[in-house]
Amino acid sequence: MNPQLGAALAAEEAAIYAYGVIGVRLNSRGDETEARTAERAHRGRRDYLVARLAQLEASSAPSPAGYELPFPVTDRASALKLAIQVEDGVAQAWRPVLPVTGGNDRGTALAAMTEAAVRATRWRRLAEVTPVTLPFPGRPERE
Amino acid sequence: MVLTGAVRMSVTGHSRRRVLGLGAAGLGAAGLTGCGLFDDDPEPPPVADPLQPLLDEATTLAAAYDRAIVSQPGLAARLTPLADDHRAHATELARLIGAAPPSAAPSGAASAPADDAARTIAALRAAEQAAQKSAVAACRSAPAGRAALVGSIAACRATHAEALR
Repeated sequence: MNPQLGAALAAEEAAIYAYGVIGVRLNSRGDETEARTAERAHRGRRDYLVARLAQLEASSAPSPAGYELPFPVTDRASALKLAIQVEDGVAQAWRPVLPVTGGNDRGTALAAMTEAAVRATRWRRLAEVTPVTLPFPGRPERE
Repeated sequence: MVLTGAVRMSVTGHSRRRVLGLGAAGLGAAGLTGCGLFDDDPEPPPVADPLQPLLDEATTLAAAYDRAIVSQPGLAARLTPLADDHRAHATELARLIGAAPPSAAPSGAASAPADDAARTIAALRAAEQAAQKSAVAACRSAPAGRAALVGSIAACRATHAEALR
């Protein structure tokens, strides 16, 4: 389960970084609250993963010093687009944890994946993207 | 009789023994209706797959959306993608457990006549929340090979509840 947890950690770190960039381009109170809440959630999941990997005595790969964004974030529209992509990516990183865990570990992974999917839906609604849901959150586009 | 027993079992989780007991208790009735327990029937009733209830739920939810769209056409744009998600779940689950793919929605399923959009949405949202809970439970007890698909279905139901807020 360690490689899967490590990949989830990488996704959470990337999400925390991305929300720093996203927050700068949001300009309404509602958007900003949403972004702050999301970033806090990702920090919580990051801390959980760091602790769990330490318990398992697994060395997590050091997080890279910088992240490359998939596209430049220059305004609210591109910030919302990135937020959607980040949450979809986090859900995709947690999904492979499900088969390799059981009990509470699986429950935590499912909660993390579900919360990311719900945030992606909230961002889609704010961005007026339709449909606001995916049939199989966390499933990679091509499987 | 047998069918009723099987449904009862999947809904309430009664043990097989209990269900068989009920079947035996109903022997007289079975004889009357000629649904012979003593007929030569070498095939034992198939044991339902643990994911059958999840499949049934997906089919029922899709049908609930279809009815809501009929009674509230103004909600069609919002509800149709959600109904489609449930149909996609039903198709995947049927393939996974080797069940017949769900056919058309069961007609005449009990549902309060929806007289306004807000109540329709609220009822669907409550149904999604309940369905999410059962999918979470199914994911937690699923074997490794099924955990990802069932987990995605649980997450999708949560996003539906969000979309109906």
